[in-house]
Amino acid sequence: MASLPLLPSSAPFRPEEIAALNGVITKTSPEQRAWLSGFLAGFQAGTGGAQTAATAPQAPAKKVPLLILFATESGNAETLAAQTRKAAQKLGFAAKVSDVADIALADMAKAENVLIIVSTWGEGDPPQRAMDFYNGLLAEDAPRFDKTRFSLLALGDRAYVNFCMTGHIIDERLVALGAKRFAPLVECDVDFAKPAAGWIASTLDVLQKETADEHAVIHVDFARTVPAAAEDDEDAEPLYTRDRPFEAEISELINLNGTGSSAETWHTEISVEGSGLVHVPGDALGIVPVNDPALVEDILSVSGLTGDAAVREALSEAQDITTLTRPQVEAYAKLTDSAALKALAADPNALTAWLQGRQVIDLLEAAPAKLDAATLTGLLRPLPGRLYSIASSAKAAEDEVHLLVSAVRYQTHGRKRSGVASVDIAERRKKGGSLKVYLKANPHFRLPADPSRAVIMIGPGTGVAPFRAFMQEREAIGATGRNWLFFGNRHFTNDFLYQLEWQDWKKSGLLTRIDTAFSRDQREKVYVQNRIWEQRRELYRWMQDGAAIYVCGDANAMAKDVNHALIRVIADQAGIDETAAAAKLDTIRRDGRYLRDVY
Amino acid sequence: MADITDEKKPLSRNEGIKSASRGLRGGIAEGLTDVITGQLDEDDTQLTKFHGIYQQDDRDIRAERGRKKMEKAFSFMARVRVPGGQMTPAQWLALDDIADERANGTLRVTTRQAIQFHGIIKSNLRPAIATINKALLDTLAACGDVNRNVMCAVNPYESAVHAQALKLAQDMSDHLSPRTTAYHEIWIDGENVVESAGNAKEEDEPIYGKTYLPRKFKATVAVPPQNDVDVYAHDLSFVAVLKDDTLIGWDVLVGGGMGMTHGETDTFPRTADVLGFCTPEQAVDVAEKVVIVQRDFGDRSVRKHARLKYTIENRGIDWFRAEVETRLGYKLGPVHVPEFKSRGDRYGWVQGDNGLWHVTLFLESGRVKDWPEKKLQTGMREIARMLDGGVIILTPNQNLTIANISAEQKPAVEALLAEHNMAITADSGLRRNSMACVALPTCGLALAESERYMPDLLTALESELALAGLTEDEITIRMTGCPNGCARPYLAEIAFVGRGPGTYNLYLGGSLEGERLNKLYRQDIGEAAILAELGPLLRQYATERKTAESFGDFVIRTGHIAATTAGNNFHANLKLA
Repeated sequence: MASLPLLPSSAPFRPEEIAALNGVITKTSPEQRAWLSGFLAGFQAGTGGAQTAATAPQAPAKKVPLLILFATESGNAETLAAQTRKAAQKLGFAAKVSDVADIALADMAKAENVLIIVSTWGEGDPPQRAMDFYNGLLAEDAPRFDKTRFSLLALGDRAYVNFCMTGHIIDERLVALGAKRFAPLVECDVDFAKPAAGWIASTLDVLQKETADEHAVIHVDFARTVPAAAEDDEDAEPLYTRDRPFEAEISELINLNGTGSSAETWHTEISVEGSGLVHVPGDALGIVPVNDPALVEDILSVSGLTGDAAVREALSEAQDITTLTRPQVEAYAKLTDSAALKALAADPNALTAWLQGRQVIDLLEAAPAKLDAATLTGLLRPLPGRLYSIASSAKAAEDEVHLLVSAVRYQTHGRKRSGVASVDIAERRKKGGSLKVYLKANPHFRLPADPSRAVIMIGPGTGVAPFRAFMQEREAIGATGRNWLFFGNRHFTNDFLYQLEWQDWKKSGLLTRIDTAFSRDQREKVYVQNRIWEQRRELYRWMQDGAAIYVCGDANAMAKDVNHALIRVIADQAGIDETAAAAKLDTIRRDGRYLRDVY
Repeated sequence: MADITDEKKPLSRNEGIKSASRGLRGGIAEGLTDVITGQLDEDDTQLTKFHGIYQQDDRDIRAERGRKKMEKAFSFMARVRVPGGQMTPAQWLALDDIADERANGTLRVTTRQAIQFHGIIKSNLRPAIATINKALLDTLAACGDVNRNVMCAVNPYESAVHAQALKLAQDMSDHLSPRTTAYHEIWIDGENVVESAGNAKEEDEPIYGKTYLPRKFKATVAVPPQNDVDVYAHDLSFVAVLKDDTLIGWDVLVGGGMGMTHGETDTFPRTADVLGFCTPEQAVDVAEKVVIVQRDFGDRSVRKHARLKYTIENRGIDWFRAEVETRLGYKLGPVHVPEFKSRGDRYGWVQGDNGLWHVTLFLESGRVKDWPEKKLQTGMREIARMLDGGVIILTPNQNLTIANISAEQKPAVEALLAEHNMAITADSGLRRNSMACVALPTCGLALAESERYMPDLLTALESELALAGLTEDEITIRMTGCPNGCARPYLAEIAFVGRGPGTYNLYLGGSLEGERLNKLYRQDIGEAAILAELGPLLRQYATERKTAESFGDFVIRTGHIAATTAGNNFHANLKLA
């Protein structure tokens, strides 16, 4: 572990204060440090801003340029980048935000002050849109960053082995290329809000000090006027969030799969009447689930807490009682002093293997122990919301938001497992009941601004959801662009989601083409990527004519296979090799004509 | 009838579809490529019948489909034409594999010695038919307004005459096959059909012409004293005439047919008339001319009236004979009134003249699948894999005969039959002589259950039989889900014809040997009433029957029902309670 930076002797404190503070800081956990910096930032704001503290550096008169970069897949890094810019502007920086996908490395290398927020995706991969940036940075001919000082915020999910890996790789590479890391990398798990706020406040604070030294005159830019409306729109606090959701009524709940299907996909209509919630096709709706009561009881029972109503409520609605991470195993091993768990925690490979398919209950059952309520809840992570692509357009469904929720059920280690939100909806929610929801905008998955542009939609399974919204939208606005859907599922007869609607759109001419791949209707499995390849001539013609390609659905297999199929199509049709074809597909992506919403 | 020469009656819709079909092509090939729907164009579904294919949907789940935003659960029934029901073990294995890969996992032996697959979805249809073709079988003309699968007495290895009967069945089947190449184009050659369809050549159909027959046409070949093929139920039958155990020719029967419509008394089942006698050499020619007369004189305006039985009923058998003889250029000889003793299959092991062994197995309602207690499909698969030589015969009673088993292999077959609990016979004489059509959930015509319900009803009736001491008596019982008669219900001693969910019309008084139609006895009754009606009748039969008197004869003699002496009095003299 890198040693923590200590307060320099030049810090605006007395030497004994510096020693005392350093004594505290060295013993802190990342969470404590994040909390502390958040607290100080809030304290500063609450007491009237930096200017009241005599020793605090003033905002520079000549605005210090600050480049805020983000590499995002789900939009969290982008949201944080906007938050950072807002904070930076308040402090007087000339902050500019850019997606790493939209900046040339050479331009980045010219920037003196850089803050980077990087998501790690899936099993340690960079976000798809960041691939170019990432590859360029790691390439031998990457530019030098000798002028640049930076700090990096890494987003990830501890449930995955390669936690925050992309962030670490970029962080180290920038240093290797000559950049100065002015504040250490901060890792964020899925509950990133607090540590991220801390990183924003502390890095800006450090930057402010460091840049202040470079500017002779310290002056507060009170006169700075912000074009309020524009600014507010862009950075507006969302109306509803995971922690402040809207309680909506479920107005319809239909399992779309036919009797005899192995799948259960719930068409869920949610009334958002009166919520003021505004969404556009491509957006997602967050759902605040309630945990499986049976699992809650199992956990209470193994922890000896069945009599505690408060902890039961916390486990039902506030804590993640399924996802199991390494730190939890380590903490519980210590807590219980279980030799077996300690041995497991000490052996990273064994732990990785053991974690496969296991959840919190498995950990507790591995070394059952009576816990007190605070210990149990302290062990658990907060329960995150679950995002579902909206399957309807507000122009067609008005006050209703439609979702396509696939009930996830499987068995591992002798125990039946259920998707937290999906099975909550499939089994425990009823038509007429309620559901807590919030909007998650998805600005990188939008229909073409030009309604005459053709659209190719690749959405097997529940991945078809946003494309139903697309079609409703295009129908409502009378968009003239052609529409081509690739849909796939297991069986034609029982799993053709929204079949009658696609038929109606085909009949009306709105849906120009549809190709389907039902994997289990015959012995040889067929997937959408096979259909893409079969239709390569026509598909390439559409691409040449400017069609935008959208992919939605499974990130692990489907999106990769589709991506490769598209590269093969281009290679085959353009008569170039796959490397050149991949570059061509990248160009299309940079043009905003290859968009993905994968999970 | 007054209207038989009325030329102004408009042709039925199907006639237009046939004549515009470019040799039965229509838009089938294009329809197969439309991936958004599981159905074909409505007119094309009339044409696929000529290719042996019926579009159906799963009626069990019809109600939920719209709510789930999906069209009906369409699938296709494909009927494999198996003249005389003869298949090699390799062909059996090929069909068994298709059932698993492309259909609903089961095989259905039909009442006309064919194999039906159910539940083939559109995307699997072409591969399924192409695979059937690879097994040297086809579905062409298994349905539609043509001569369908030709039935034949089981078993050809029993005697030389039986072998000659099979030869005639196969020759007749070949001779009356449609000549269109559409079948190959669409199903076998496959992909290029759509492009080439525009230039497809319309072949001459020397026998059928452009519009084929007015309605379906069914032919059989029988060897007395067995009437397993039910000669009186078909449009055309050839009955072997023997002299000193040698075939001297065939008695020809024409104009039988089962279908009718509830509530329309001008539609009725009819037993075949005697046309005349022909020599073995004349038989195929006679068949062709019978088909041609029906082609030219059958009713093409009203499909319910288009079968040969109505042509003959309306114009008379003498007129029909004259028309056939004119086209033959010679007279048919005098018939040798056939004498039949039974229609049922002879279950169990028999040794043929050739020294080889044959075994006939009872199939519940003709369905080959693995039941929890009886692994029929697996057992048949293993027997077919093991057989060296051997023939699998689909019987006209929807059972299976495995023929030509060597003495060496017989113990192995017996062991497999035992291992998979494949009972050779059934628990009662009634069940052994039972048949049921497919009906729900796939058949679009069904008004009530048949195949899925018959076994349970038989179990209930077996209690009544046991009470009456009739468990081993041979009584013919048949059930269909609608009045169209696929299981030939109107020739059974006891028959049930579906009227609505759970309700049936009960028919009594058919003869054991199959030459007399039954008659409606009770209308719209459910299981309780069925048992209440049949229980006392069976007990009375047990105590009051004469020696060797069949149940069908008994109910007539004792006045429970009037005898139906011909199709045209099927609806007369009812004594409904």
